[in-house]
Order: sequence, then C-alpha cells, then structure tokens
Amino acid sequence: MDPQLHALRLRQRAAIVRALRRFLDDEGFLELEPPVLVPSPALEATLEAVPAGGGWLHTSPEFALKKALALGLPRIFALTPCFRDEEHGPHHAREFTLLEFYVSGGRVRDLEGVVEGLVHAAARAVDAAPPVFASVTVAELFARHVPGGEPDDDDAWFHAWVHLIEPALRAPLFVRDYPARHAALAEVRGDRAERVEVYLGGLELGNGFSELRDPDELRDRFTASATARRAQGRAPHPVDEGLLDATARMPRCTGIALGVDRLVMALTGARTIDEVRLNP
Amino acid sequence: MYETSDFRNGLKVEVEGNPYAIVYFQFVKPGKGTAFTRTKLKNLLTGAVIERTFRSGETVGEAPVEEQTMQYLYNTGDVYTFMNTETFEQVELQASLLGDDAGFLMENLEVTVLFYKGRAVNITLPNFIEAKVVQTEPAVKGNTSGNVMKAAKIETGATINVPIFVNEGELLKIDTREGGSYVSRISK
Repeated sequence: MDPQLHALRLRQRAAIVRALRRFLDDEGFLELEPPVLVPSPALEATLEAVPAGGGWLHTSPEFALKKALALGLPRIFALTPCFRDEEHGPHHAREFTLLEFYVSGGRVRDLEGVVEGLVHAAARAVDAAPPVFASVTVAELFARHVPGGEPDDDDAWFHAWVHLIEPALRAPLFVRDYPARHAALAEVRGDRAERVEVYLGGLELGNGFSELRDPDELRDRFTASATARRAQGRAPHPVDEGLLDATARMPRCTGIALGVDRLVMALTGARTIDEVRLNP
Repeated sequence: MYETSDFRNGLKVEVEGNPYAIVYFQFVKPGKGTAFTRTKLKNLLTGAVIERTFRSGETVGEAPVEEQTMQYLYNTGDVYTFMNTETFEQVELQASLLGDDAGFLMENLEVTVLFYKGRAVNITLPNFIEAKVVQTEPAVKGNTSGNVMKAAKIETGATINVPIFVNEGELLKIDTREGGSYVSRISK
C-alpha cells in the first residue's frame, strides 16, 4: 500500500473517530470498555469466533453492554476492536472496529435519527457531503428487485439478497422488518423482527434491534443456534447465563452496532478495509 | 474443480459450457446470514461480463483454456496484434474482446494469450504494469479531508483514480485487475 495514502486515510479515520465520540458525549452517552476475552462469543449460528485463553475474543460487545443496561445505565456505547474468524476481503477483516450503542426506551425506528446524526458528524469531520437516508422494508426491496418476491427458503433468500438486492443499494438507506427467523437478538412482532440495517455507499454498515427482553425466548434461540451449528459439524456457542439474567432485568431498549472501518471507507472513498486501518 | 476459496482474479472457469475469466470477486456475508462470493465473469469468447454469486464452498469447473506468453506489438484500429517471441507466430484479437484491458497495453508488453479449442480468444494482462501519468489536475497542497482521489490518464490510454498528490509525468505502479487501480509512485 502507498505509505502516503495510508497515512492520509489514518488521519481521516482519527478525525471521524474523534467526531463519533464527541457526538455521543454531547448526546449524553456513557462510554464503556467491554471485556474482549469472553466465555460466550455470540448467539448467531453463522458467526465464527477466534478462540483465546480458554474462551473467545468477542464478536461484538453486545452481551457485555446488555449486562451494563441491566445495571441501570440507560445510554451507553463502546468503540472496540471485535474479532470474527473466516471473514476476509476488501470489506472484511478478522479484526475490525465496532461502535455499538444502546438507548433505553423507544422502538427500533428511533435509532434511525441517532445514526443519521452520528454519520453527519463523521461526514463533517472529513468535509464529506452529509448523506440523506431513506427508509425501506425488506418486503419492499424483494418486491422491487426479486422476480417472484421473498423466498421462504433461507438459502434462496440470502442468495437473492446478495445477488440482486445488495448491489442495487447505492443510496444511504435504512432497511427494516426482517423475517422473524433472522431476528438474532431482536424482538419479534407477528412474522417480522424489529431489526434495522444501515447501508451507506453500497456497504452494510450496521445492524440494530428493538432488544429482546424475554429470557425464555432467548434461551430457545441459543438452543436453535446450537442445533444449527451441530448440523454443520461446528461446536455450538455456549449459553451466556449472565446475559439471560440481564435480559430479564434490562429496560425496554434499542441498540445498534456500526462498522467504524466501513463508515470511514464510505465517507472517504477508500477501496479496501486495509486502507483505513493499521494492519498486523 | 475450484472451490470459492480458490477464486482469484484471472482464474479461468467453465460456467454452463462457456469459458470465463474471473475479473472481480468479493467475499460477502450479509447480516445474520451465511457467506457468499460475488463475482463478475468475463466470457472469453464474446467479452461480455456477467454477474454470478456463489455460495461458500460451491464448486465450479476449470475452463479448458491454453495459455501462451506473447508480446503486444501494435494495433490497427480495432485489431490488436500479439507475437510469440520464440516462434514469431502472430495472433490478432478484436478490441471488443479485450474490453478495458486494451487501455493498459503498451508496445512490447508481455501478456498471456488465451487459446480455446486452438483459437486465440483473449488475453490476461500482467497483474502490475508501470506507466506514466499524461494528464491530471495539479496537486492540492495540505488537503487531508474529503475525497483524496482524482482522475488521471495514463500513457497506455486508460483513466484511473490516483491520490491527489500525484502529478503529470510521474511513473506509477498500477494494478491492472478490476479495471486498473493505483498502487504507488515509482521514483527513478
């Protein structure tokens, strides 16, 4: 990589990170430092964690931050390195940086305003034009881009998403109302999960939820994930009992994790994730 | 057979009985979903580019393509001529088959010519070439914000994106894959 260009990108990154922290501080969010070494790395069957020290490196700070919500801290965030194994490419690195924040009260669509404010603050830090977001449902996207609409089969659903829908998402966009079976840790209403994804510059930037607060339902989802992983010949993720306990006690809340590296890429036009990070 | 983890730019694969070269590939993993590899494939017989998305671990056949190292000689209009420097055998290829690759050809450049059923059908450029900038806007001093890239025309004819500090007349190392991208300046 060109050293002069890399240095420029790192300056832009620092300016954006500074603006993100300042925006959240002004909005009354408390910054927390989540543990990186954890006994349970994730819920989702599709996430691979990096083993370390008898446990794993966290794939996101979600479990730790939910335990903090249960302590009575209502507006919190973490800006932290996260680790996901078997993910590599121009938009993926095994180690990457997430900004994850939680707001007590409200529904998932309330996150959209905070995310837009954050992205605008980041854009101003590098003199980029502030992106104007639109909001659309998953069902609308399938109706628009996929002949035959939304498939029931998961494999066909994701293939259509990756092949036909995602390449068409060039404008800044919030996508909401995912199928209930793709809820992860989101609340489900009817057959739809209260989940939102953020797209900027064609990049999937983040994923947010109205957070599930039913510990029995959460245990069922851990069980379903374990079953799916065993079927693929992979070890199931252990249940985090502390998370189940926190889930029962935390207030109604919403939360979202944003990829900081991708945000920097989208606002600066950098082509690869390596360009906007210091690399090992 | 190739698996998606074997994919690289320039790999020759057979899809529905036709030979293709991978000209772009990307690992994608949608939120809460499984991994895929999104590709763009250039049909070696027609030059047409199609998009194809493979599931991780899906396999694809190898295209029965033979390769020869040849030297680019010259073009006459839309016809590009290449020569095997040992046998002096020459082949001609149409610009429509070469696509964007034609913009990175300079005299005497060694390329790989692809033969399908005994007939020259396409080329593969070296991954990296060196070429001078012949036209670009002047550098802006002290600009560290916003978009730090600008367009530059290089001596072989293509236009690529370069950082703002690159000047006309400078020699660049250029990655010819995925339409051409700036790697670094070369000081001589």
